[in-house]
Amino acid sequence: MKMKSLLGFSVLILVITVFTFSVWAEKVVLNGIFLGASWGVAAQKLAEEYEKLTGVKVNIELIGRDAIYEKLALEFASRASRYDIFNIDYNWLPQFAGAGHLKSIDEYITPQTELEDFLPKALEITCKWGGKLYGLPQTVHPHLLWYRKDLFENPEYKAEFKEKYGYELMPPQTMQQWRDVAEFFNGRDTNGDGNPDLYGWAAQAAKGYGNVHTWLTFVYCFGGDVFDWETMEPTLTTPEVIEATKFWADMLQFCPPGIHEYTFAEVAKDAAVGRIATALHWSWSSWEVDDPNTSTTLGLWEFAQVPKQVESAPHLAAWSIVVSAYSKHPEEAFKFIEWLENKDNDVRQTLMGGGDPVRISSYSDPRILEAKVEGTDIPRFRRLPEVLKAMETTRPRPLIPQEEQWEIVVSQYLSAIQLGQMSVEEALEVANAQVRMMMERSGYYKQ
Amino acid sequence: MKLIKPSSKRKLKMLPYYFLLPPIIFLAVIVVYPLIFSLKLALFDWNLINLREREFVGLGNFLRLITDGSFWNSVRVTFTYAALATSIEFFLGLLLALIASQELKGIRFLRTLLLVPMMVAPLVVGLMWRYLLNANYGVINYFIKHFLRIIPPEWLSHPSWALPTLIFVDVWQWTPFMFIILLAGIQSLPKYPSEAAQIDGAKGYQILWHITLPLLRPVILVALLLRLIDSFRVYDLVYSMTRGGPINKTETLSWYIYQVGFKFFDFGYAAALSWVMLGITMVMCSQLFRVISRGTKEQ
Repeated sequence: MKMKSLLGFSVLILVITVFTFSVWAEKVVLNGIFLGASWGVAAQKLAEEYEKLTGVKVNIELIGRDAIYEKLALEFASRASRYDIFNIDYNWLPQFAGAGHLKSIDEYITPQTELEDFLPKALEITCKWGGKLYGLPQTVHPHLLWYRKDLFENPEYKAEFKEKYGYELMPPQTMQQWRDVAEFFNGRDTNGDGNPDLYGWAAQAAKGYGNVHTWLTFVYCFGGDVFDWETMEPTLTTPEVIEATKFWADMLQFCPPGIHEYTFAEVAKDAAVGRIATALHWSWSSWEVDDPNTSTTLGLWEFAQVPKQVESAPHLAAWSIVVSAYSKHPEEAFKFIEWLENKDNDVRQTLMGGGDPVRISSYSDPRILEAKVEGTDIPRFRRLPEVLKAMETTRPRPLIPQEEQWEIVVSQYLSAIQLGQMSVEEALEVANAQVRMMMERSGYYKQ
Repeated sequence: MKLIKPSSKRKLKMLPYYFLLPPIIFLAVIVVYPLIFSLKLALFDWNLINLREREFVGLGNFLRLITDGSFWNSVRVTFTYAALATSIEFFLGLLLALIASQELKGIRFLRTLLLVPMMVAPLVVGLMWRYLLNANYGVINYFIKHFLRIIPPEWLSHPSWALPTLIFVDVWQWTPFMFIILLAGIQSLPKYPSEAAQIDGAKGYQILWHITLPLLRPVILVALLLRLIDSFRVYDLVYSMTRGGPINKTETLSWYIYQVGFKFFDFGYAAALSWVMLGITMVMCSQLFRVISRGTKEQ
């Protein structure tokens, strides 16, 4: 009897242990870091829903861009498994995937992932490295040309423009047309107080805050590139890049005062308060000009392809979601990403203001097509057809593991050009030599 | 009388060392180990991302900075920044401390008010001034344009204005620190030397020059040393206001080290740069210490 009860007690303990372990083992907790932008917030909200659906808890921390980059480096250097998922700016992919710090998700892909529905360039540029897939895109926002429809349709301006330039005022399709338009509107006094209050265009121009990003669109549209991808030699001194840089530098004269301090925020702010006639800006940011609470140009902005010289090839901005190679739950992490970027959630993220969609089907989804700016009849996502078109010709920052360093070097010399401290040729010559030195130190060009 | 055994006596003698052991271990872990580790880093070509590819380069990283133009530029910027910011803060702090040491009406309120900038985090100060000084939307340029009727410069993106602007913001934030140290020093000075000089007919500036300032030397030394070291490693303001720009006009040594370390992930070189920075700071401080303490001894 005594023996029997001892046996019974042991079995009970075993059952409890197994049960507890199985419950504990089933309760997966994933930790992720996302950018503290609207798509990070959207992911955070959807993660709560994911837990209710699957029981998998996903903790999402929202931090700034620089902080993510530093955290990634430190986590990876120590091979830490504290975070499973990272939201990354795509230009970091070569660096982290190349060094083996990211988990290839190829093995988890099933037909259910519906890879073929993703925008090809979004998937190719932002998630693939060395032929492997490391994550799924979360948002894309290529450069678009923003223009004030009301100004372009104003009969007085139309007549004046035609008289001055000999052709109709219209949204510019070529770089020369854009220069004419920028010159035409620049420095106008629209409220009659004797001070200029309208400028030709604006874009990010501050050193380290995006002057490189703006300049890249010019380089690509002029048919240039920043590397010879066969030899990996920098090509900043080619005629195309010099011509593009000269054009960009010349165009800066039609920008508002203080343009050299312009970051992301100033461009959107200027557009919202009606200080500029055109802008070269990320597509996603257009929600700021349609914010009924802060914008004085509600519904007045329209969007077009970046003007072409040789071609219209806007520079791409995009963020993707990747899985850490040191994650203890890579499959679960992938399942969350897959769920977050499924057809329905891609649309939902867009409707939540998260960013521009990454799936082809989202661009024709009735929920997006029918969405209006709150309290108005203005189509909320009228930019998206242009985004879809831009995603066919868009080009990325140079996809090399040293991209951040490359950007810092180039940014400094572009700043010198902007401020008239160096000529275009001189600055590009020095920048080219500096980039070459950087690449050489990184082990390129070894015989 | 009870005799203590020699072995117990030895134990008693060792007792204070046992008490000191925990802080010594603690210091060794948080100060000595990182220092040794960073010295080791400085001798390697050590990329944070590709740890497997680290390679011993000896003094290679230190030799590399001899031909590194960005390093020399950042040294020049840092010296200009630290020297100007510290000296302006010292003179303003001294002036304010002399005023505040008088028993004037409302002086308590003024003292409290003066301390406010020091309490704000440098990063917040940087962001705040970045918006205040914004060429288009900043309130400062608005007032200059509308009341003074002059076109203000683009403070943070003009090659000649960016560094002075950063120095101005540093002065705004840290003059109170100088002020509070010097005020405490002035208030702790004995009254009789200046009273005696007053009776002998000495004027205010003579008392200041010949009595107050010489007596304040040790306090001045502490204040200058602390501010000099602090301004020499300025980072937050550069990060939040200019990111080293325009061009490289505000690229300080700390900012450059941050870029090399956390943007290029070239940790070996960043560690070498940090050691050089530490060396420069130590030489600078010891020189300052010598100059000021020599004066104290001569007294």
